Amino acid sequence: MNLFIALVVAVLFGTGATLLLKSDLFRVVVGLVLISNAASLAVISSGLRRGQAPIYPLDQGQAVSDPLAQAMTLTALVIGFATTALLLAMAYRVYATHRSVDLDDLARSERTTEEALERGPEVERDQTRT
Amino acid sequence: MSVLVAPLALLWPAAAVAALADGRRRPVGWAAVAVLAVAVGLLTALAVRVAADGPVEVVAGGWPAEVGIRLRADALGVTMALVSVAVVLAGLVHGVAAGQSPRLFPALMLFLSVGLAGLFLTGDVFSFYVFFELAMMAGYALVALGRERRMVGGALIFAVVNLLGSFLFLIATAGLYRATGTLEMLAMADRARGIDPNTAVVIAVLYFVAFGVKLGLFPFHFWLPSVYASAPPAVAAILAGALANIGAYGLLRFEAGLLPRELAFGRAVLVGIGTASIIYGAVQAIGRRDAREVLACSAIGHAGYLMVALGVGGRVGLSAGVVFTVTNALGKALLFLAVDLRGPLVSAAFVVGAFSVAGVPPFAGFFGKAALFDAGVQAGSTAAVALLFVGGALTFVYLFQIYQHTYWRPQPAGPAAPVGARAVVAVVAALVLVVGLWPEPLLALSDQAGGALQGMVP
Repeated sequence: MNLFIALVVAVLFGTGATLLLKSDLFRVVVGLVLISNAASLAVISSGLRRGQAPIYPLDQGQAVSDPLAQAMTLTALVIGFATTALLLAMAYRVYATHRSVDLDDLARSERTTEEALERGPEVERDQTRT
Repeated sequence: MSVLVAPLALLWPAAAVAALADGRRRPVGWAAVAVLAVAVGLLTALAVRVAADGPVEVVAGGWPAEVGIRLRADALGVTMALVSVAVVLAGLVHGVAAGQSPRLFPALMLFLSVGLAGLFLTGDVFSFYVFFELAMMAGYALVALGRERRMVGGALIFAVVNLLGSFLFLIATAGLYRATGTLEMLAMADRARGIDPNTAVVIAVLYFVAFGVKLGLFPFHFWLPSVYASAPPAVAAILAGALANIGAYGLLRFEAGLLPRELAFGRAVLVGIGTASIIYGAVQAIGRRDAREVLACSAIGHAGYLMVALGVGGRVGLSAGVVFTVTNALGKALLFLAVDLRGPLVSAAFVVGAFSVAGVPPFAGFFGKAALFDAGVQAGSTAAVALLFVGGALTFVYLFQIYQHTYWRPQPAGPAAPVGARAVVAVVAALVLVVGLWPEPLLALSDQAGGALQGMVP
């Protein structure tokens, strides 16, 4: 079971990391969502233990399963949800200002903006910067 | 109400109310400034109490000590909290005084301070994560608030890279919880001594990467220059003076406090990374012309000094790391706040910041560098001392390059900066000078912090 969960975490994290390296912004966001889920799964797996439900009254002498890991995962999921919302909102703003969600396009348009700025009022100041 | 809970209980509702108000209106901004000033006062009172009587603890919700979440202010946490929230206050005053603050600016600043105060004052690893995400989310939103086009892209990269760091932190925490069976920092430090060394090394490396990303350390620095350079000055000051402290605090608390054996194991690596960071940051900074980019690159270099302090280790090294982080945060915040302003007093304030960051007496930064020197000498490491000297000299070169390029040229036409913004720069400069002239409280707190970090594993 441990090995299986470790493999699932690894695959989720690896897929997420691969997507993170793409130039499409939405793929980057999805990659981060996958990584956040890998982290949640890692947290829940930190409390993997068979036992009775941790609700009072408890039977004496029997193992109790760990409720803390579940509570942490719940919190982590909520935080993950909020980060996803924030990232999507930012990605949408990028789309609204640049009309593109491709990071290469973004870098290109930033370069042109910067060059335009430098050609403007401060011509003599900085010719060397690329 | 305990003085430990008071800052959080004050800031949190205030932030929620501010989120509903229209932050573009001046009165809302100044009300937020007043709340934050009270919070800084409360944190100062807390710091005085911690310095006099040792750590202050509260278990939230009146639960028994082993069940409830424990808030705990020790010398390290309270020093960092005070400095970070004070920097946020300076940034807030600067932003409000400059006049064009976006609607959510005051609310986000208050949420940021809740997160910062909470994460430095908690004794529980998972609530550290929650507060830390709260502070970072406010940070992402603040960076994205800017109006320039290129900021949105920079903000997104900042958010993605730092979120990756946060999730690595979460995975490391899951591992440490699995290994020690507790989330309480003190109990964790106690039990971490007994865990399998292989597990501990993996966890220590994960924590190192997570906080190295936050701090902008050399191999993880790639996001830093563009974000710092494109953010508005108030936000850049907060990134350098408050959010970077999270990385420093995390490295001190989780590496030196919880996993000291693994830290000692990686000592050579730390010093190596620190050296690379110092040299790389300084060389990059000298090569840039734009003042904000220079300052951004110098942040990479200054992350390296903390690594050297951690590498030297021991009570002297750790407390040197604390002194350096605090003085550097103040100096960097001052430089970022001053760099875009024009008018009387501003260039003087910039020189104060530059001298402080370069480590010239009688400014605060001198004591940071002096403490590092002392740690290097006591550890008998010639290389560390030489490195500090070279780093300091390079800092001097690039900071005065900026000074020459910005303040010795004819000033561009246009009105001087608003009085409020100039006043806050002058106040921060005065603070840097006061800390430099009267460093005993800071040095005493840092020494206590270094001792407390070591005391976590007696």
